[in-house]
Amino acid sequence: MHDFEFLRFVNIGQYLPTGSVIHRLDPRARLVAGFLLLAAITAAPRWTGLVIALVALLAALVIARIPLGYALKGLLPPLPFIAFLAVLQILFGPRGDVVMPLWTWGPAFVSATSLLNGALLVLRFAALILALSWLSFCISTTEIVRALDALLAPLTKIGLPTHAFVLMVQATLHFLPLLAQEAERVAKSQASRGAEWGTGRGGLLRRARQALPLLVPLFLAGLQRAENLALAMTARGYQGGEGRTTMVELRFQWTDVVALGLSVVLATLIVLV
Amino acid sequence: MSALIEFDNVTYAYPLPGGGRVAALREISLRIEEGEYVAIVGANGSGKSTLAQHLNALLIPDDGVVSVAGLDTRDPSQHATIHRTVGMVFQRPEDQIVASLVEEDVAFGVENMGVPSGEIRARVDEALETVGLWEMRLRPPHQLSAGQQQRVALAGVLAMRPRCIVFDEATAMLDPAGRRAVREMMTSLHRAGLTIIAITHFMEEALDAQRVVVLERGSVALDGPPETVFVDAALLSTLGLDLPPAAGLARALRQHFPALPAGLLTVPALVEALDFLPHYIVEAPAARTQPSTAASAPLIEVRDLGHIYLLGTPLAQRALEGVTLDVTEGAVHGLLGATGSGKSTLMQHLNGLLRPHEGTVRVGEYVLDDPQTDVRAVRRMVGLVFQLPEAQIFEQYVGDEIAYGPRLQGLLGDSLRQRVRWAMELVGMGFNAFKDRFTFALSGGEKRKVALASILALRPSVLLLDEPTAGLDPASHRELLSHLQKLKETGMTLVLSSHQMEDVAALAGQVTVLDSGRSILDGSVGEVFAQGEQLRALGLSVPVVTQVVEGLRARGWTLPPGLVSPAALAEALSRCLNGFNR
Repeated sequence: MHDFEFLRFVNIGQYLPTGSVIHRLDPRARLVAGFLLLAAITAAPRWTGLVIALVALLAALVIARIPLGYALKGLLPPLPFIAFLAVLQILFGPRGDVVMPLWTWGPAFVSATSLLNGALLVLRFAALILALSWLSFCISTTEIVRALDALLAPLTKIGLPTHAFVLMVQATLHFLPLLAQEAERVAKSQASRGAEWGTGRGGLLRRARQALPLLVPLFLAGLQRAENLALAMTARGYQGGEGRTTMVELRFQWTDVVALGLSVVLATLIVLV
Repeated sequence: MSALIEFDNVTYAYPLPGGGRVAALREISLRIEEGEYVAIVGANGSGKSTLAQHLNALLIPDDGVVSVAGLDTRDPSQHATIHRTVGMVFQRPEDQIVASLVEEDVAFGVENMGVPSGEIRARVDEALETVGLWEMRLRPPHQLSAGQQQRVALAGVLAMRPRCIVFDEATAMLDPAGRRAVREMMTSLHRAGLTIIAITHFMEEALDAQRVVVLERGSVALDGPPETVFVDAALLSTLGLDLPPAAGLARALRQHFPALPAGLLTVPALVEALDFLPHYIVEAPAARTQPSTAASAPLIEVRDLGHIYLLGTPLAQRALEGVTLDVTEGAVHGLLGATGSGKSTLMQHLNGLLRPHEGTVRVGEYVLDDPQTDVRAVRRMVGLVFQLPEAQIFEQYVGDEIAYGPRLQGLLGDSLRQRVRWAMELVGMGFNAFKDRFTFALSGGEKRKVALASILALRPSVLLLDEPTAGLDPASHRELLSHLQKLKETGMTLVLSSHQMEDVAALAGQVTVLDSGRSILDGSVGEVFAQGEQLRALGLSVPVVTQVVEGLRARGWTLPPGLVSPAALAEALSRCLNGFNR
């Protein structure tokens, strides 16, 4: 109750500039490699692939000089949800052609297959979370924006407003930590007026009403910030992507090619093995 | 020759939600020449910010013409040119930052101009050098202090090579060092030939300008050099303004020493004029020793307090270390320190929002380092008013907003009404006049009072105030101070942090100075403000009275160093001047 640091153990979205080999890669290579891994983990049909992914991710974390303990702590907050999903999967997953359930009770049953499915689910989520945290430890929001801008640029030729999209991503990434700070401030300030968070008493309506002191100021602050930012951007001559140039021009090195090649091989392994 | 910026009979009204419009500018005509330094001052609602946004086509007049370098702002095809001719630095540093890296943010404006990348790089580096932040170019802006963030915003404007820069209350949220740095930048840019337009609530900042324009309800009330504008205190007061602090002090001293000339606006001028009066060099009276209050145990006692944000992560950051603080019951205790020195963190320990990681915190009978302590009871006893508390208002009606806390305490019906009425009257808001007003339609100063009342309604015996006067216009500022003065007289214990040395001097008895999370100076206001040199090195400053004392002592006057109130200064001066100037 007295801990207001909402983001303390959420490490997705936390950039750690350690200056490792990985941090020095072209942001496009990092972004593409990260997405390849995420896609492969999502698609991996067997546990062997997921184990390869986990081992590869741990190695990648070590190479990126991220403290392993910190990275693994990021698995803790979503653990209850994952466990819950795994239990559902084990008890109520598709029966398929199961011949001998180990245990049944009403619609619930446990079989060797469902246990395996549950384990797969846990492994997959763990790998996904680690991959996402790895990506955010290694690539700053600025670099994401630069990489996206460069990667999506060809699409402007067919008339898609990619620059507006990238700017939106940028503003969102910039605002999230500010909003988190704002939420912390509002929660603290209402707490000093006697509000209690998370006592969980009362019906739905009453709980919704309890959230108002937090949500209204947060919402207003968000709108106010957005308005101020729009004003500041207009004042600095922003008129959309057209005719805009960039200070930093990205250049691909041989190390980037190697890294991309490695991630392609890894992704293939994860899906096929 | 036409002026750089010309307003010809400009009228503008804001559309209201649900129809109707509220007039902000009324038939304003104004010429600003290339190379001028103009300060624009006025009460809240006088139209300053609206005027500012007309200067670079962020707003277009309803009626009349604004031309910038000969270009009519009504023509959208000229906006790109106008935006790069007149740059703007806004009030809130964090709201005008676009990118997540300092140099990328500085580049944003130039990138919009379609300049080749090599040239952008050169301009960005030059702008960062100018504002003295080149070393910080690869940092995320939110890691910088507010003052540095404002310099990032300024660099972003400079990189576009404008002819004029508008500062829209750009110093309002800064600590003394940050404010000093931005003011110095304004002056040096002006010397380099740029046109500077500064909108400000600080009268001493208006003195930096060559010309002061006073707005009142959308019209120009006064326009001239500072010496002609800051003359009539009564007139300024009806315009919702004040004399600059040094001028106010000079005026107060003239009532004791009529030989003092009129029109003294700055500390150096006042020191010069005092020194010019015939005076004795008398032996300074022995420093009065304060009667020691150590007999009774302090109400708040903090020992060796340490706190670390994000403890247990690689981003852990130490916020407090070895902090010691004693607050006597019924006293007003000031906390001074630059941005990021740990004042807010310390305050949050005093009502249990944060728990000590090291050391002890005792508030009354509650020991906060003991996990068994009931923090809710501590919060009932100690009210905390956050910085810009009006941002936390969530109810539609003033009465409901103030009733929120007492209602949670279980108050109902008549006793609730009584409590709300009592709190509103403490901040000078009539219960019947204000309880059914819409919170969103209040002025900035009124919102601040509602937020204050909503804490007072909990009947705390200790009130913590984090930058209570930040961002207020002079009239609201003065009024809030007088309410705090009254609270002090009711015997309430106040702990306030402020970047306004004048506020601290006016209210506080004891002061603790924080630097990088450590408490490094502690004593009566007089003792602490006597350490002018050290305070300035910490990014702080001293009130004008103390500045005058410093100036006179440097000229050989024998004055005791730690004077903070105008009355004490007058008394000390009378010892040196009497006989000559009666």
